[in-house]
Amino acid sequence: MRIQKAMLVFRKDWREVSRNWQVILPIVVIPFMFSVLLPVLLVLIPSLAATPGTSLGGFETMIQNLPKHVQDELAGMTDQQVMVYIMSLYFFAPFFLIIPLMASSVIASDSFAGEKERKTIEALLATPISDSELFLGKILVSFIPSMMVTVVSFIIYSTVVDLFSFAIFNGRLLLPNLVWILLIFGLAPTVALASIGLTVMISAKVKGFREAQQISVILLIPILALVFGQVTGAIIFGPVVVTALIGFFAIIDLAVFKIGVKLFKREEILSKLA
Amino acid sequence: MSSVETNGLTRRFGSLMAVDHLSFEVKEGEVFGLLGPNGAGKTTTVRMLACLISPSEGSARVGGYDIGRDSLKVRQIVGILTENPSLYERLTAYENMDFFAEAYGLSDVQEKRNRIRELLEFFELWKRRNDKVATFSKGMKQKLAIARALVHKPPILFLDEPTAGLDPESSKGIRDLMERLSQREKHTILLCTHHLEDAEKLCSRVMIINRGKSVIVGSPDELRDKIAGQPVLQVTLKKLNQKIIEAVKELKQVKEVDVDDSASRLIITLDDVKSATPEVVRSIVYAGGMVLSVNALRPSLEETYLKLVKEE
Repeated sequence: MRIQKAMLVFRKDWREVSRNWQVILPIVVIPFMFSVLLPVLLVLIPSLAATPGTSLGGFETMIQNLPKHVQDELAGMTDQQVMVYIMSLYFFAPFFLIIPLMASSVIASDSFAGEKERKTIEALLATPISDSELFLGKILVSFIPSMMVTVVSFIIYSTVVDLFSFAIFNGRLLLPNLVWILLIFGLAPTVALASIGLTVMISAKVKGFREAQQISVILLIPILALVFGQVTGAIIFGPVVVTALIGFFAIIDLAVFKIGVKLFKREEILSKLA
Repeated sequence: MSSVETNGLTRRFGSLMAVDHLSFEVKEGEVFGLLGPNGAGKTTTVRMLACLISPSEGSARVGGYDIGRDSLKVRQIVGILTENPSLYERLTAYENMDFFAEAYGLSDVQEKRNRIRELLEFFELWKRRNDKVATFSKGMKQKLAIARALVHKPPILFLDEPTAGLDPESSKGIRDLMERLSQREKHTILLCTHHLEDAEKLCSRVMIINRGKSVIVGSPDELRDKIAGQPVLQVTLKKLNQKIIEAVKELKQVKEVDVDDSASRLIITLDDVKSATPEVVRSIVYAGGMVLSVNALRPSLEETYLKLVKEE
């Protein structure tokens, strides 16, 4: 395996991807929504506008179901502080898994299925770049930008949350904390890799970029389950849960990549084009 | 020495026999044409030889390397124009060339730049080098795809339908460029086409294939002789009369005479046109005929090809 050949494929694919608005738009807009727009609109502005003694409304169930160590963290906080604390640190956490999942899936669909659809794959496969070098290059172009978007979104989100928490918690900064660091640097990469592996499998079977992207949406189902789990208090993103999820997704990564590597063979790809 | 040598090369897709025990040889420096209708198996043959798909049966050597065992080496010494131009439309012409130059191992920056410039200038694309390929015409894309196939100076070139889908003017432009190219760079070229003009103008030998099987191999002239027989003699006169026609018919080398009164023309079928022509002309002149022109007419390769494919 020659790394410089994989990097050559990475650079070429990135040039292509970065000039495609169908790819760039969702990976810019959705992270902006999760890191700035929704936190500001749903949590921070209402909490600042609320008068002391404001009801916690629908969050009471979630708060009641929180584990004891989290309930202990909330001791002595006002309702306004509890709402900001729970929403910022727990409610939004699973949404940040949608960012790497969606970004990597959109880029991988363009890189794998898109190349097939645009009929550029044959000349690429005719070069003396090996299957594994091509595969690695295409994995990297899906993985690196999606992780960069996730990390940048996390930095922006932390800044936004801290700007407000500084005022609401009398100078206290809420982020980053251990759970979020594990989430962004441990869970997000495994989710991104699972998403890429699955998109490779889907891309081998479908004809085009859009089809691959549409089918990849099924990946959102387990992430949405985590969102609902958080809202109902059934799953709370603590260090143990996040570590367990990292292990779970790592196993999925291994399984989907094993199948993906098998499917990414010159012979397989071109037989389907014939 | 052979640049390409196939032995019983076969490829099946399920129950479909795309290439059926094809054996042929392309000599070094030769322009060899694979001629056949759509679906004849030309593209599948090229894909096997370029190590893109493996044969179901048989073997082949390209540049001395076995396509099964040494696929990476084969890909290094082969340049390929695929059925579709296979260009990255969001990249510029230069970026496309640059990527493929590096993919084929041109790591020296100056050498790479010089080669790209040389090819883009040759194909009249240098001024458009910084434009995205999406803005190019079909003919320009085809030129760029051929330039890309040549970027690493491959000794062996596979060109799959280089003039397909182009208007007559662009087709002629591509043909002229390829003719100049084959003279200048001395590649061994395997040219797949269903355009007879391409084969006739560019190829030293042609193999007609149909339904995956070889039908006939030879130079364009040999194919015409083998399939459509000897050429006929066409003599145009100032004025045609019965005396001249009788004088020609009396000659023992003459097998048949067709008369075209309106054009004062005789179409004469002979055993051997080359040796009998002086005798025919002399008999016409002795009979008082005034000869305007004498031509040995050969059936076109197109007529020959259509006859063969129809028979198959």
